[in-house]
Amino acid sequence: MGHPLLADAPGRIELLLGNEAIVRGALEAGVQVVTCYPGTPSSEVPDTFFRLSPEGDFSFEYSTNEKVAFEVAAGATLAGAMTLVTMKHVGLNVAADPLMTLAYLGAPGGLVVLSADDPGCHSSQNEQDNRAYARLAGIPCFEPSTAQEAKDMTRAALLFSREHGLPVMLRTTTRVNHLRGPVTFGPFMPKTKPAGVPKDPRHFVPVPVFARPMHLDLMAKMARARTQVETSPFNKEYGSGPHGVLAVGINRSYLADALAESGLEAEFSVLELGFSFPLPEERLTAFMRGKKSLLVLEELEPILETEVRALAQKAGLSLLIQGKDLACLPRHGEYSGRMVTEALYAALGRTAPTPVHCAGTEGLPVRPPNLCAGCPHRAAYFAVRQVYGDEATYSSDIGCYTLGLLPPLRMADFLVCMGSSVSAGCGASRAAGQKVVAFIGDSTFFHSGMTGLANAVYNRHDILLVILDNKTTAMTGHQPHPGVEKTALGDNPARIDIEAVVKALGVTQFRKVNPLNLKATTKALEELKGMSGVRVLLTEEPCPLFARRVMAVKKPMTAYIPDPCDDCGQCLDTLACPAFSKKDGRVEIDELSCSGCMFCLQVCDRIKARKRSA
Amino acid sequence: MSEAKSLRVFMTGVGGQGTLTATKLLAQAVLSQGLPVTAGEIHGMAQRGGVVESTLCLGVLSPRIGFGEADVLLGFEPIETLRALPYLKAGGIILSSDEFIAPMAVALGREQGPDLQEIKAKASACAGTVRFFSIRSMGKSCGAVQSGNIALLGALCASGLLPFGPEVLEATIRATMKPKVAEGNVKALTLGVEAFQTQ
Repeated sequence: MGHPLLADAPGRIELLLGNEAIVRGALEAGVQVVTCYPGTPSSEVPDTFFRLSPEGDFSFEYSTNEKVAFEVAAGATLAGAMTLVTMKHVGLNVAADPLMTLAYLGAPGGLVVLSADDPGCHSSQNEQDNRAYARLAGIPCFEPSTAQEAKDMTRAALLFSREHGLPVMLRTTTRVNHLRGPVTFGPFMPKTKPAGVPKDPRHFVPVPVFARPMHLDLMAKMARARTQVETSPFNKEYGSGPHGVLAVGINRSYLADALAESGLEAEFSVLELGFSFPLPEERLTAFMRGKKSLLVLEELEPILETEVRALAQKAGLSLLIQGKDLACLPRHGEYSGRMVTEALYAALGRTAPTPVHCAGTEGLPVRPPNLCAGCPHRAAYFAVRQVYGDEATYSSDIGCYTLGLLPPLRMADFLVCMGSSVSAGCGASRAAGQKVVAFIGDSTFFHSGMTGLANAVYNRHDILLVILDNKTTAMTGHQPHPGVEKTALGDNPARIDIEAVVKALGVTQFRKVNPLNLKATTKALEELKGMSGVRVLLTEEPCPLFARRVMAVKKPMTAYIPDPCDDCGQCLDTLACPAFSKKDGRVEIDELSCSGCMFCLQVCDRIKARKRSA
Repeated sequence: MSEAKSLRVFMTGVGGQGTLTATKLLAQAVLSQGLPVTAGEIHGMAQRGGVVESTLCLGVLSPRIGFGEADVLLGFEPIETLRALPYLKAGGIILSSDEFIAPMAVALGREQGPDLQEIKAKASACAGTVRFFSIRSMGKSCGAVQSGNIALLGALCASGLLPFGPEVLEATIRATMKPKVAEGNVKALTLGVEAFQTQ
């Protein structure tokens, strides 16, 4: 039986994750090429496409980074393919260069870029508002609020993109990517075979003389797009009260619930924007006319608020417009039903009743995310701490290994963005003469670490780079990358060897170890510490979760602590392996949690190995 | 889809416990009855042994639950039940595990967590109904610790708060899981139902 998402079954209702709904929408539109770089909260979109790829009638790839993903997608749409490219919000920074220019070139086959934003920084280093990118590039933007809309809007965005020859942004937020709701399927659109890129440099090569008319052409396309936004079924009005509310994204759900539950429905008229850019200026102006006030509900930046203020001024309207100036609507973090309720009351000059709830308990022990039992990063970090202690400055990067910042390992002193550990480490080393050890994962190395390493060699920097190769992209859910041996769908037929890349980039001071071998790792680090210039230590050991699930590696032995043990707790204090615990003064290792990596046996000779009990 | 009275269930547990699987299953059961459902979850860093919170909402659009908005608090771990108390409406219902999964600092003996008595007292002080169950043990007796989550869902079904009974959840389990896995989970479901009825 085929996968339910691939079924041509209009009318069927399935419970879908927002991200799965996006996949269904793209399939219904007839998507032909899908590219991505994974990143929470977008990852289930490409991961679902990956799983469907053996059965599906589309081309899918995990690209090496977002810029590459966007460029492959750009070429595909120029060749006439309906194309989807997915990434998290900060990924669009990496892809911003091709985004800006593709807006000029256009998207003949249709192209939608999914920008999965993360207000509240659930799993990101910032909470930038990528609606600003739609304005900067001059491309249309859709913002779904439910799983059904995630499906419907992806479909509509792809079809709109192809119709107008414009790249389109589908902007989601974590709440929408990770909600589940019923989705009613629609029919599949017929596909047309891509005809290839026509010989037409005037339209596809943006040298200055061609780029200038391309910019005019983009503005003309956006003007045509705006006339469709004016009447888009994704923009809805309800209510007939004297006060207006303008809402986008997930705030539309918060608003609908808040109105129903506060009993304030009669006071408000609502305009929801699902197809939110270009602005439906006429509709907005008509909506504001005659209203006593307007409340704008948008998370993060006051983008719409600023735009409707300008519209009101143009139309000579003097109604009170409120948004980020209300104390209950901050410019940071997520909104909630409660915040929206407070804003509704504030718009009426009233105060919302305080909800009655159970009291919280202060000072409960927290559960910070931790490296898993058997994680090879813990072993590598342990060795680096033994050799360098606090003597070195640790330049970190983005992946599971960022979690090494916590005590007792404390292996992250600064972090900028994906791929920055090498280059930012070089800067710190050169500026202040600090001894710098930089860490980067295998996937991040291919993403954007290689260019930094080339720069380090070329500009004769002094840095030790530790490449933590765990044979997968662990943090985002075990996606493959160019260096992996295995993927969830089988062997990697075109593996790129990290050691060969490092050497080809001109690195001569190189060591490779298995980080679970403490002695060998420490020895290699001591040797590299005695050298200067660019040095690379490659540590190779698969992520234990990946090894178990995908590589079918079985570790039959487990660590345990036989009597007598003085229970000094050194192992706990220096390793912080989650398989260890201290009960009534006795140190124990939980056999179920122990991965069998046997690293702890090298840390304390009282710890022994034995066969698993079951 | 028919209209439903609004009901908000806040679920909380520890990464790796299967909280999200339980949430998905419950949402599927609701949908199988043709009722409007929205569920929410936050993935990412939380999965490395962190707290995992999820929601199931009927008859409303938002997947988020704020303080004082949950009708039901399902706690898959007792410290997390305590931590999530503010989400519960005064007079709401708590169904919780009474078996601890020690946070790192507690496991290392550096901090002391609350004991069960304190948790029960604080829960009873504000909730209308409070029931604790040894769901991990129930799960183990059915073949997998994670099945304990299904036992807690069984207790929820037995509470009469949902617009359907345990037989709907059983049908959903059988429809969505492999027969062997389903068998253990159906057993856990029954244990949860019985535990609610006899406590």
